[in-house]
Amino acid sequence: MSPLRRFLRTPEAVAGAILLAALIAMALSASLLFPGDPQAITGPALLPPFQDWSLPLGTDRLGRDVLAELFHGARTSLAVGLAAAAAALVVGAVVGTLAGFAGGLVDEVLMRITDAFQTVPSFLLALAFVSVVGPSLGVVVIAIALGTWTGPARVARAEVLSIRERDYVAGARVIGMHPLAIAFREVLPNALPPVLAMSSVIVAAAILTEAALSFLGLGDPNRVTWGGMIAEGRAVLRTAPFLSIVPGIALVLTVLGVYLAGEGIVETTAVRRGLS
Amino acid sequence: MSGFTISRRTMLAGSAMLLASTAMPAPSWAQTPKKGGRLVLAADSEPRNLNPAIVASNGVFFISSKIVETLAEASFDGKDGLAPRLALSWEGAADGLSVTFKLRDGVKWHDGKPFTSADVAFSALQIWKPLQNLGRTVFKDLASVDTPDDLTAVFKFAKPTPFQLIRNALPALSSVVPKHIYEVGKIEDNPANNAPIGTGPFKFGEYKAGQYYRLTKNTDYWGKDEPYLDEIIYQVLPDRTSAASALEAEEIQLAAFSAVPLADLDRISKVPGLKVISKGYEGLTYQLVVEINHRRKELADVKVRQAIAHAIDKDFVVKTVFLGYAATATGPVPKNDPQFYTADVPTYAFDVAKANALLDEAGYKKGPDGKRFTLKLLPAPYFNETKQFGDYLRQALAAIGIDAQLVNNDSAAHIKAVYTDHAFDLAVGPPVFRGDPAISTTILVQSGIPDGVPFSNQGGYKNDALDALISKASETLDASARTDLYKEFQKEVATDLPLINVAEWSFISVARDTVGNIANNPRWAVSNWADTYLES
Repeated sequence: MSPLRRFLRTPEAVAGAILLAALIAMALSASLLFPGDPQAITGPALLPPFQDWSLPLGTDRLGRDVLAELFHGARTSLAVGLAAAAAALVVGAVVGTLAGFAGGLVDEVLMRITDAFQTVPSFLLALAFVSVVGPSLGVVVIAIALGTWTGPARVARAEVLSIRERDYVAGARVIGMHPLAIAFREVLPNALPPVLAMSSVIVAAAILTEAALSFLGLGDPNRVTWGGMIAEGRAVLRTAPFLSIVPGIALVLTVLGVYLAGEGIVETTAVRRGLS
Repeated sequence: MSGFTISRRTMLAGSAMLLASTAMPAPSWAQTPKKGGRLVLAADSEPRNLNPAIVASNGVFFISSKIVETLAEASFDGKDGLAPRLALSWEGAADGLSVTFKLRDGVKWHDGKPFTSADVAFSALQIWKPLQNLGRTVFKDLASVDTPDDLTAVFKFAKPTPFQLIRNALPALSSVVPKHIYEVGKIEDNPANNAPIGTGPFKFGEYKAGQYYRLTKNTDYWGKDEPYLDEIIYQVLPDRTSAASALEAEEIQLAAFSAVPLADLDRISKVPGLKVISKGYEGLTYQLVVEINHRRKELADVKVRQAIAHAIDKDFVVKTVFLGYAATATGPVPKNDPQFYTADVPTYAFDVAKANALLDEAGYKKGPDGKRFTLKLLPAPYFNETKQFGDYLRQALAAIGIDAQLVNNDSAAHIKAVYTDHAFDLAVGPPVFRGDPAISTTILVQSGIPDGVPFSNQGGYKNDALDALISKASETLDASARTDLYKEFQKEVATDLPLINVAEWSFISVARDTVGNIANNPRWAVSNWADTYLES
């Protein structure tokens, strides 16, 4: 059975994939469906959803279109989630490979640094970093990556420790390959699958962290973010709960979708590796 | 259903009330405030320094005005809008070189020592003039304070100082602290700054960080039968949405300073047992102001500033950001000020086309992307409304081709960025009008103010005519001539726009029906609450 068919046989994975596809479609179509500034004031303030079909999800406290904000917010969430996860995976894989392959003092130093990062709760680290440097999209990405690269680093190192004893690594050494070339050309590609398996969890966590930072007012104020929308809606929670609930649901579905789709991919690939 | 059930407890309560009523002279149930009870209210910030003589700000007054009293308090019907507190009378000399205060007799500090003119002299010379954020300007020419007897204090000024200014400054700037506590050691490090000792109706009880402040009744208070309350608890509720639920759950009885979000007021006014009160803040008008950094070459051009003023729909701001709980502004003195306000100033109607034309005229044509130039916009983080107005202003500026990039900071970082580092192009600020333009308003546009003074002109604005007007008014002793100068000042500010006044707002209190004597003076939330009571 092909991996794709196996994937499609798992209902959770399919649900996740649909959610994820919807999210990506939202992010890509945001500028087409809602051209111009999503934060522009387009209608009366605090219009409830389903009242005016030109503003289907209503408006916020300043009269901005909630649906447009939701679409553009999907973009920010996805961009931050993917960028932060990519950065964390790259840094983690490189650090883990170097530590595992070099061993000795390099391993000690790199792993103690990893330990140091792991002892600080990743959200606090992100919070501290953003409040010192100042909020903007790039800073938020770095802040999230700062607290999440340690997991991939540890997994990569464990993989590398077992791989470096294999015959083909010894073979590469014998033909005189440079140790760095061995590490990154021979060892790292083979150590990657378990590291990549963590990506769905990391993306989901990064989206949540970004939302939490925005909720606390530490997101990029010039972009629409779901966390920022929830925070704004909180002031009118009793009179206009939809302002917090709508982006809240979007956030839950996104995280769920990313996670389920990621798990589905891991499951199918795991089965394949098990069979082969 | 339970109206006629008589339990032992109601019987006991009833007989206790009967006893109380016979003990009280001339009981009249409708009017006489009840004695006793604990008032629990919401506090949204926790000032560390509670000494109102050093930090004259509403956050500090909210708590410490019940403990430390001023010479006089604002009043709706008193002469010159004042009611006596620690001073019984005040009189200015014709030459503007002295002001004589007659002090109240029989007043005791919370530690039992008598209150005398020496305390007033000490507070004025050692604290108000050198250390207080606002007193530094108002009392800058104070040379000495004579104390011919224990109940007379004569302020001597090196230069003629308008009596009108001193009078207007009394409610906010004249907190008297005990000399015998503060004369030892450094005033800024005195432990009484965190546990104040005063003459007020309530004594400082305790403070638990993140939880509450507790004030207890001063049984030796000078006011007859006052205070009525036994205790005041400030419950720390930093989350604004929680104040409304706490009121509904009867966990607190009062939420002042708009602790209940404006958007919730409509709903909460319909909850039985709760009342929404917009009175009691007339003397604490906040102004919504766009601060401008005149070092930016675009903003140094008055046409650009006028264009920005035309781009702001003030009615929209009042209606949407403040939900109607505000007024549009015309200039640097709020409309509700009885002494100084004039409507005779240039105004800037909401007119996007005119704003665009002004910008074209100034030579800042729209680029191919529709943008003329980019500005950094820093909304002050202290109020929901200042942040929301920042969001609105960004959109209003986009409509005239100015790309404003929002920068959000916390309070400390905002103050540093705007008032010390000048790292802003536009900022949204909430300065307070304190009854006289010379207290905290002229400083917003005057030149020559050192870097780092918060809520002052840090935008590099310099206008010799305006500076001359301000310094002339500061030496004018005649109240009506001085008032006229400040009317001219308003005109000049509205013409040259060193800053743009958008709206003026005050606060809203929400209280349970049982809280009595609310909002009975123009600074009620920051007055001493000696006559506040609770119906059982």
